[in-house]
Amino acid sequence: MSEKIGGEYVSDSTRALEVDGDIDLMVDDLDLWYADKQALYGVSLPIAKNAVTALIGPSGCGKSTLLRTINRMNDLIPICRYEGTITKGDVEITAKDADLVEIRKNIGMVFQRPNPFPKSIYENVGYGVRLHYQPSREELDEIIEKSLKRAAIWDEVADRLHDLGTSLSGGQQQRLCIARTIAIEPDIILMDEPCSALDPIATAAIEELILELKKDFTVVIVTHSMSQAARVSDYTGFMYLGRMVEFDKTDKIFSDPAEELTKRYITGRFG
Amino acid sequence: MKKDIDTLKKRSRRRRGVVEQAGSASLALSGLVGMFFLVVLVWQIAIPTFIDGENGEISAASEYIPISDYVLEWDHPNVNEQGELKTEPIVLILAWEGQNGPQTHELEIVVTANRGDKEDIQISEEGLSTISVEVGKKTKFYLKSVLEVPVSVEQRSGPVPAADASGNPQVSSFVVSGDVAVLFSNGKAVFEPLEMAGWTSLLVLTFIVSRPNERRLAPFVRCYERERQIRSVTLLLAIFTAVIGQGTLSAFLGGMCWLLFGVALVRTTEGMKRLQNQGRTLTEVKRLKHSISDREGLLMWSRMLLVSACFFIPLDIDIPFLTERYQDIFQPYASGIRSAFLGTVWVMSIAMLFSMPLSIGAAIYLEEYASPTRTTKLIQALVTNLAGVPSIVFGMFGLAIFVKQGGVGLGLGPSILAAGLTMGVMAMPIIVLASQEALRSVPRSLRESAYGVGCTQWQVVKHHVLPSAMPGIMTGSILAMSRIMGEAAPLVVVGAAALVLFDPEPLAALTGGNLNFTVIPIQIYFWTSEPEHAWHSMAAAASIALILLLIAMNSIAIVLRQHFRKRLNS
Repeated sequence: MSEKIGGEYVSDSTRALEVDGDIDLMVDDLDLWYADKQALYGVSLPIAKNAVTALIGPSGCGKSTLLRTINRMNDLIPICRYEGTITKGDVEITAKDADLVEIRKNIGMVFQRPNPFPKSIYENVGYGVRLHYQPSREELDEIIEKSLKRAAIWDEVADRLHDLGTSLSGGQQQRLCIARTIAIEPDIILMDEPCSALDPIATAAIEELILELKKDFTVVIVTHSMSQAARVSDYTGFMYLGRMVEFDKTDKIFSDPAEELTKRYITGRFG
Repeated sequence: MKKDIDTLKKRSRRRRGVVEQAGSASLALSGLVGMFFLVVLVWQIAIPTFIDGENGEISAASEYIPISDYVLEWDHPNVNEQGELKTEPIVLILAWEGQNGPQTHELEIVVTANRGDKEDIQISEEGLSTISVEVGKKTKFYLKSVLEVPVSVEQRSGPVPAADASGNPQVSSFVVSGDVAVLFSNGKAVFEPLEMAGWTSLLVLTFIVSRPNERRLAPFVRCYERERQIRSVTLLLAIFTAVIGQGTLSAFLGGMCWLLFGVALVRTTEGMKRLQNQGRTLTEVKRLKHSISDREGLLMWSRMLLVSACFFIPLDIDIPFLTERYQDIFQPYASGIRSAFLGTVWVMSIAMLFSMPLSIGAAIYLEEYASPTRTTKLIQALVTNLAGVPSIVFGMFGLAIFVKQGGVGLGLGPSILAAGLTMGVMAMPIIVLASQEALRSVPRSLRESAYGVGCTQWQVVKHHVLPSAMPGIMTGSILAMSRIMGEAAPLVVVGAAALVLFDPEPLAALTGGNLNFTVIPIQIYFWTSEPEHAWHSMAAAASIALILLLIAMNSIAIVLRQHFRKRLNS
């Protein structure tokens, strides 16, 4: 079955999608509405373990919505409802009685704008850890140091751990948010345009960090920058008007896309 | 065309100029009017009303208050070692411009050793009454003038405290008691040097730590690596202060000051050490600032202490008007507002204890948990309307629910408890609305980041939303508190008494004690309706006391709010 979108015929987005290696999380035929307005149309997406999956597409195409559904963040919006399933291993994330705390612990999220807690750097990282693991003071210190080191920010903040997290620069704040997320040892890290509020240098630092994080975590990143998607991701999904138009290996998407729509988008000849 | 546009531009510019000038002129005018009122206020209250009584003249007094009472007082025991009175009558020469030319009167005052013989002296066109005056350490009586002209007083004979250099008898002081300043003047200041040292060190410290500067920190650098000594020395000082002060409140606060001083010193030196270990120089003052951990909390406590000290020092200075005297229906100037003051404190405490948790809880529920159904919308609308309901209506509500027995009434009687609950009910809608506003203004990103690390809803509220909304909630609560503190109307309905000659019992309604109570606004209300002028001065004095109380309470709230706000966005 094909649909005509944006003047082009694209194949059905629920077609079989494949990745190399293990699948960490599977989004299957997800429809989503904000009140009466449908935002996602039968989106399916496999997320490969220990790889970076990028979601690209023009504004309003549902990338962020999809991302926020994966850790049930959309539940905070009362008018939002959805059908379809998201499964992680044998856990059905979209189940009505799912344990949201457990889900959000296992699927961490980094937001578009850096949003550290208005607490000290130490507390920012330690908060989630304390919430889930009740560590001793020494263990906590160790976890915090390790997380900050993994987020490549330790050298900058080591001597001011008791300073407010919000007093850091934008790029540092975003890395602090990443440290906060990885401190609770999730399996998957969702990143919602993590670099959109940052300058090129901070962006480069975050991108480097993402490549580093790939070793231990599964990363899903929403980005507006195609070059960024090309640089950091292993798989790329192109979304348009709530549909998953194309999903494939990043090399394939950027060199030889199957869909005309994708080709036009990545070459900038769009609309 | 070009020309047209130029004209238009010119015209709009001119119009703008006119509006600009009119706006600033009206602003300036209103500012001036405000200033004028302020000056009048200061003139009324703060112009020194203590008149130099060296020659016994009361010249300036009648410029302010034509009909007034004058207090004449001097220190002199007038008794010999056996306690017998050894004195001649006091003779005062009073002179004034009467209707039939200058008038002079000789006033003989018989001094007796009997306590309670005190009487007032009435000066009128008809003459003077002679009286008996008791003798004590501070002999004191009132000269009451109903004349509208100045009266000069000269002492001819009688016991005098001391002669001046030329050997003339002198009266220690004349005081115009018609002015409120006098009502606060009989107190005595009790300052202990140690306590003062505590305060001063705390002030200096607060200043230094809040804005570190290399030069100012130099003495601290010398303390570097002496934390242990500092700690023990300040602990000793604290204990010493508390012991010397014999366990009074201010001594305790003084001791706390020392302790804080020590802790801050230790923290500073520790921060310094950490800096040096990291090979940084002390010129990086900003980094030093950051490395003093828990500085914020410490600052908060010291500021809190300072403000509460400002609140308690007056008690220590001992203003009898506020804290010692009850109302004396025969002697206005010997009256005080002790029972009203205590009543206000109790009513406010009960009102806040009752309304704050309930209102903040309601606000959290409405804002965070309740789904927007018809019921919650209705409740919201009701709360919004309640905030504007006239206070007298709340009084009626309190009367029906808390005071009366039977039906829905709890039957607490016209007691402090009933008054406190009524006032609490009145404060609730204000606090709820302000808290809701504060909760609503917490950014969504904060909630998201909290949910993102896996918080439950309650954890999000408790750990993130509530602390962020705290400044707003505090502001709302303080506004509500200020409003109910000055309210007399509901309490008139609830049944506050006009004359209470004992300390109120807060829980009398439950334990069965004496229910009577009064609060400062009620006292002011009843005093202003007295015909005698003196009571009006008392009412003014009570108003000043009320305002001071408000300022003290607001300062504490402001400190709290600043602390929370600073923690949020440094």
